[in-house]
Amino acid sequence: MAGDAVIRTSGLSKNYPTGHVFQKRRPALVDLNLEVLRGEILGYIGPNGSGKTTTLKVLTGLLHPDAGAAWIFGAPLASREWRLRIGYLPEHPYLYDYLTPAEYLDYVGRLFGCDRRRRRERTRELLALVGLERSAHVAMRRFSKGMLQRAGLAQALVNDPELLILDEPMSGLDPLGRRLVRDLIVDLHGRGKTVLFSSHILSDAEALCDRVAVLRGGRLLSVGALRDLLRLDVSHLEVLAAGVPHDLPGLGAERQEAVGDRLRLEVRDDRLGPAVTAIEAAGGRVLSVLPVRESLEDYFFREVAGAGPRDAWGEG
Amino acid sequence: MAVAANTFRETVRERVLYNLVFFALLMTVSGLLLGHLSIRQDEKILKDVGLAAMDLFGTAIAILIGVGLIIKEIERRSLYPLLVKPLTRGEFFLGKFAGLAFTLLVNLAVMAAGLYLTLLATGHRADWRLLEAVYPMFLGLLLVVAFAMLFSTIASSSALASVFTVAVVIVGRFADVIRNMREVLPGVPGWLASGLFSVLPNLGNFDFKDKVAYGDPVSAKVLLWVTAYAIAYSGVVLTVGYVAFRRRDFR
Repeated sequence: MAGDAVIRTSGLSKNYPTGHVFQKRRPALVDLNLEVLRGEILGYIGPNGSGKTTTLKVLTGLLHPDAGAAWIFGAPLASREWRLRIGYLPEHPYLYDYLTPAEYLDYVGRLFGCDRRRRRERTRELLALVGLERSAHVAMRRFSKGMLQRAGLAQALVNDPELLILDEPMSGLDPLGRRLVRDLIVDLHGRGKTVLFSSHILSDAEALCDRVAVLRGGRLLSVGALRDLLRLDVSHLEVLAAGVPHDLPGLGAERQEAVGDRLRLEVRDDRLGPAVTAIEAAGGRVLSVLPVRESLEDYFFREVAGAGPRDAWGEG
Repeated sequence: MAVAANTFRETVRERVLYNLVFFALLMTVSGLLLGHLSIRQDEKILKDVGLAAMDLFGTAIAILIGVGLIIKEIERRSLYPLLVKPLTRGEFFLGKFAGLAFTLLVNLAVMAAGLYLTLLATGHRADWRLLEAVYPMFLGLLLVVAFAMLFSTIASSSALASVFTVAVVIVGRFADVIRNMREVLPGVPGWLASGLFSVLPNLGNFDFKDKVAYGDPVSAKVLLWVTAYAIAYSGVVLTVGYVAFRRRDFR
């Protein structure tokens, strides 16, 4: 499925001015070299202020880069060609609240030069796709955050884009909405679309992405397939036992803790046999043995050295 | 074109627009009362009050809605998804201008119709020469919108943009005071007074209300000159606004 680069950046950098009288420049994005391959879902992850939204805004032309260059479908950012082929959902989209979603989608269709019939068809299709048919003619000032997010997604799909750039697409959605967006991304991927999305919800990124790019402090920390980044081999086993004291000695566990009246152990593969024998010898019984693999969250905290979960991973 | 059409739709859904048009029509009709107070002057007073209402409320619409055209889009970030579409920033900027220009045209037409109806209802003839004052008034409003959009692009808040635009309107209305500044303040260098007079907009150039109300004709040559002045001045202001808009980062 994956192939040539749909997005390519070279040394892309962006600084923001800070202060009023004596302005300094704060680097928001530093020397970004990244490729998004055709047909893949690339998750762009990082903590708050790591440069995710800045990157997406530079790529979509909302911010001017201070250094470096980027190409979308081989065309430079200044070109207009790629705009016909992409869809973009900003973070917390604000759509004209005096319009209904049907009117807004019609307006966007006009920007793409679609004729009236095509606009009407596309509006109907998209409103059904994002579950807003019943609110098609309600002014968006009456919409909830989740409904606005759905309308925002619909406007990103008006031109049936080959590439979707989504900034925090699951943000503000209830579980049903999140499921809808996830299914939508999977469906688009199945139809050969390329998706670049930023997220702070690691489980979503883990469930959806072919590859992830991890950003920290405006710098690209790593990029690659999940299977390459994560230690997907079984790193240890989780054993749950009952009927033994919590401080039973001689188990050879990496970690040993009480969970209610049960005992939870983390043991290496080669220590499983002796641990089970020791539990049974003490009159207890083994309830379950589960292999444990590293998650994207584990990976992130491993890589962001010294940062506790709260420091490294905020909301948004 | 799509941006202009949507801007027109946006402005006609603004409640403030209807309030202003209502008050303008109310003011025009109230000219009837003033007309009764004077002898053989009722027609002139109706025209005076009607044209003044169109000018006053047209300017209020140009400022109140014009200032919000760009800065509201930036503050609310509603332009983000649009600027990623196949739409240049220039098309967006000029589309916004064209949309409000059309709104002002429709408003002036509604207010002018109100004035004509009032004239007819009071037994006066519909004096088509009133349009010789309405047309330059429209051009002056376009210049005010161009300034409102410029300040809306470069100012950090809509309040600041409004203050700048109102200041330009006041200065533009009293441009003659600047020209004659030396009569009151002899210490002011001549080059400064003439320089300011040349550079600042002279909205008095668009004011033919008195002339038309008195029944004096406005020559085609003058109207042509006023048109050229409006196009040139608005063109420069819009270009500066567009350049600022094109260079702007949307964080």
